[in-house]
Amino acid sequence: MLTAILTACALLSGPGATPAKGEPRVLVVRAEKLLLGDGTTLDAGAVLIEDGRIRAFGKDVDVPAGAGVITHPGWVSAGLVALHAYAGAPEELRDSSRPVLDGKVAWAFDPAHSDFADAVAAGITTLVLVPQRNALSGGSSAVVKTAGARVLTEQAQLSLSFSAAALAPNRYPTSFGSAMAELEQRFEKPQGAFARAKSGELPVLFEADSREDVQRVVAFAKRLKLRGAVYGADWIGELAESVNEAHLAAIFAPFDPGEERRTIQSVLKLAKSGTAFGFGLDSPWKSPESLRLSAALCLREGLDRKLAWRSLSSQAAEIAGVGERVGRIEKGHDADLVLWSGDPLDLKSRVDAVFVDGQRVYEAKKP
Amino acid sequence: MNLSLIALLCCTAQTAQQPKTQGDAPRKNWVVSAERVYTAAGRSLEHGTVVVQGAKIGMVSSGSEDNGPETLACYAVTPGLVDASVRINSGALSVEQSREETPELRVTDTLSAYDIAWDAQAGSGVTCVLAAAPDLNVIGGLAAVLKTAGEPSIEKRTVKNDAVLRGAIGSQPSRGNHPAFGRPTDFYSRRPTTRMGVEWEWRKSFYEAAASRKDPARAFKGSTQVLAALDGKLTLDIQAWTTQDIRTAVFLKEELEKEPQLGGKPRLVIDAAAEAWKEPELLVRSHTSIVLPPFPEDGRTDDGAFMAWNTAALLVEQGVPIALSAHGDTSPAGRLSMQAGYAMQGGLDFDQALAAVTINPARMLGVEDRVGSLEVGKDADLVLWNGEPFQATSRVIGVIVDGALVLDPRTKQ
Repeated sequence: MLTAILTACALLSGPGATPAKGEPRVLVVRAEKLLLGDGTTLDAGAVLIEDGRIRAFGKDVDVPAGAGVITHPGWVSAGLVALHAYAGAPEELRDSSRPVLDGKVAWAFDPAHSDFADAVAAGITTLVLVPQRNALSGGSSAVVKTAGARVLTEQAQLSLSFSAAALAPNRYPTSFGSAMAELEQRFEKPQGAFARAKSGELPVLFEADSREDVQRVVAFAKRLKLRGAVYGADWIGELAESVNEAHLAAIFAPFDPGEERRTIQSVLKLAKSGTAFGFGLDSPWKSPESLRLSAALCLREGLDRKLAWRSLSSQAAEIAGVGERVGRIEKGHDADLVLWSGDPLDLKSRVDAVFVDGQRVYEAKKP
Repeated sequence: MNLSLIALLCCTAQTAQQPKTQGDAPRKNWVVSAERVYTAAGRSLEHGTVVVQGAKIGMVSSGSEDNGPETLACYAVTPGLVDASVRINSGALSVEQSREETPELRVTDTLSAYDIAWDAQAGSGVTCVLAAAPDLNVIGGLAAVLKTAGEPSIEKRTVKNDAVLRGAIGSQPSRGNHPAFGRPTDFYSRRPTTRMGVEWEWRKSFYEAAASRKDPARAFKGSTQVLAALDGKLTLDIQAWTTQDIRTAVFLKEELEKEPQLGGKPRLVIDAAAEAWKEPELLVRSHTSIVLPPFPEDGRTDDGAFMAWNTAALLVEQGVPIALSAHGDTSPAGRLSMQAGYAMQGGLDFDQALAAVTINPARMLGVEDRVGSLEVGKDADLVLWNGEPFQATSRVIGVIVDGALVLDPRTKQ
């Protein structure tokens, strides 16, 4: 509880609350279309930003005296939220030397790394950095804002790997059976992040590859009453019912342009079951642009437009546990906005500018 | 895990098998009409009928029923075949290499319901199997009895989790002081290097587990399972091919019974006991059941053991309960139904051969209340044949698992 209060204080006094330096303290962004968190759009709307937060939005927003005004000939949305990335530290997040490492990604990445600037340029304002899957648990993930790589949540999820990658021939455990037994034991007398996960305070990020892994995850999560999301199993949609029954969310690895149809269908099946889902980024190995591409491919396959948008923004933010702060244009939310040349789900659209906490952090070079 | 939990798991496994159609083709009631109904329950019928109601057998009777659309006609019908030693698992990922005794590990944690090996088993008439990890640890862990068809979920196909405590005696667990898979490393001085080391590990486990009854501090990972095996609440299933290893297994059992500080009542099944024919009186004396490996072409099996065509017949004649196994082979010449045929060629009569691939293995695995014979109330696992079962000229033309038609005889004629 104390940590929760401290975290809350830290959030309130963080850089987001300090007045913008380069931008006016009060700023109004007008746009042809506002894309809202639930996926609906609002024609000729505006967003009022005050001290880095969204104070109001809608068709009729009063422009306070002295406010700066930006009129954008395109769409404005909340910044995208990418789940599951290794930005700024790919090889530093892999430790297979021991079965469980209660590490924190939040302390193990390079905030000056170009991965973050690349993400900003693609309209991604929030990232979840995760440990790699080469141990039963590589530690806890962190939520960071890409601009300045500022940590939002130091301990976002407990990472548990149910993938065969967690097993190694030269250290315990080498088998699935032992891995399951070890994890179960860790929750019997839980320490550190395991204790927070068991109490339900901390969600779990379950790493998986195959449907078999997902079945193990579902059984495990149900038995230990864990909440969280499953990452990495392309065909998880074929088990949508049981995933939904276990109240787990799903995170898909980012798609390639020629993604297998079965994988895209898997997203649609999952969506049909009502299971929450989002996309990972797996940067730096995948381009940040693959995030929008993933949703666009699903859209082409027939996914509901609103669901496609939510999977990139509000729903992803909820999976990351920061749904009350980012991921939608909402009163009180961080003023993380992307100014698009058009519909962000249309791959022809470009990012014109990005604001984070009311600050302009990116502006596209005019051709 | 304590025993009430094991019992509980068995119960949940049973309820999980209740008829439940989830997106599958709707389950019908089938009427199987056959010229020969081999029940493996003491009586065979000429011109008989087996009625499948939901997932269970509703009726077994003489005379043929009317030929409605749900009637499946065939020459012979038998219970679904049961193999107490298939080798379906995840290979290296099913073996914990950091210890040589892993009694608490469950094979079900390592199985894939999507493995096509299951389909091949079902298609060859094997409807229920014991799945175990590769026998490379001295005490490998808990094996499970599963159906080979149904919804692709290990949980739902499990008939009995923690069915037996599986282990090995012989050259396999002692073959070299290095990992069974992967490059040798010096992380662990793993596994005994000799047969004597293997034997010692077995006894050490039982003595330590028995000591933990009074002194909980001596409990170790898996000691609960070892204790359950000692008390006969969990069947011991030990792989031993050669005479010397079979003797070691039997002597171990007798020591567990004899030693006052142990006070054991173990139930023993020896798997892959190719050379059991050499000392059958030892097996009769110790009430040991035998699972035979597949009949080898040249008499030589794994571990250099010798097994002849008349091995099964000889053991049955001596009063040793036997089951036959194909060790997961589903090729036309190696599958379980052919093993029964080879045993008959070696002198076993048909009823005994049928029992050795149905009710006998079901009893050894403790699932005889569910599978292994055609009796009212048991699981509707049926195999339909176009001729006399186990003959090289006969084929499996239909398979029903839990009342669901897995292989349709109407399209396979």
